[in-house]
Amino acid sequence: MASLGLTLRESIRYRGRSGHYSWIAHRLSGLAILSFLVIHVWDTANAHFAPHIYSWSIALFKHPLFAVGEIGVMAAVLYHAFNGTRITILDFKPEWWIHQNRSALFVWALFLIIFVPIGIFMFSGLLGHCSELASVGQSCWTIPRLSDFPPIN
Amino acid sequence: MATITGQSGNLTRRSITFRGNFERYAYTFMRMSGIALLILAVGHMLIQHVLNSTANLTIQFVAVQWKSWGWKAYDMLLLAFAISHGINGLRNVLEDYIHNRATMAWINRFLVVFVIATIAWAGYAIANFDATRFIN
Repeated sequence: MASLGLTLRESIRYRGRSGHYSWIAHRLSGLAILSFLVIHVWDTANAHFAPHIYSWSIALFKHPLFAVGEIGVMAAVLYHAFNGTRITILDFKPEWWIHQNRSALFVWALFLIIFVPIGIFMFSGLLGHCSELASVGQSCWTIPRLSDFPPIN
Repeated sequence: MATITGQSGNLTRRSITFRGNFERYAYTFMRMSGIALLILAVGHMLIQHVLNSTANLTIQFVAVQWKSWGWKAYDMLLLAFAISHGINGLRNVLEDYIHNRATMAWINRFLVVFVIATIAWAGYAIANFDATRFIN
């Protein structure tokens, strides 16, 4: 792992331009999705194995910090999907590599056009959820306690 | 990998043994599962996080979906593709930075067990989820 520091430093210094930025974004979005996915899968399995723990965790996921993370996962999935499609197409059509730079910019544009409205929609949903709770004297920042979720038989 | 097995005159005969071409299949798998996930994972994000929302999510909502085998099949396919695609991606990243072959071999063994355990555990949960515990 001695190469990790070198990698981080060179990933910033290396002037690979569009393809380099796509490569970084693809790796980071992939790792971000995976770390969320593993938690999500083992948590969702609790819907069968321990429904009360699952009910507690989905209450926790309504917390603003998780809601913002959810918008991040949406961004990561959309970018990774579009850029992955670009990689797949160029791998099967090597003669199209002359369009590498243009295709990378196209993916960024497509990502922004689709993600920005969705991100705003999700963020306004979070604000609506918080103001709804505030109107009945509760706070969306309260962290739910597991003891409030008794086992379901 | 080529070994000289015999010589006659100017001709050299070599028998070639190929080691398993796992990496080639892994490479193809990443692209094929990627295309599947373009529909399954992006579809999942749009259905669960845009058309529906985590703010309204309850276990009853999950039960309404997992009452049907269509949704169970969708989520099981998504599970299998997403976990194997994601862990193989992690393996690709780790192999770029970990050059000790013995360490990498142990990590690979762990990742294989992790993929199988995760798909088995969560797949079992989806298959055996009983919606009638939460809704009529």
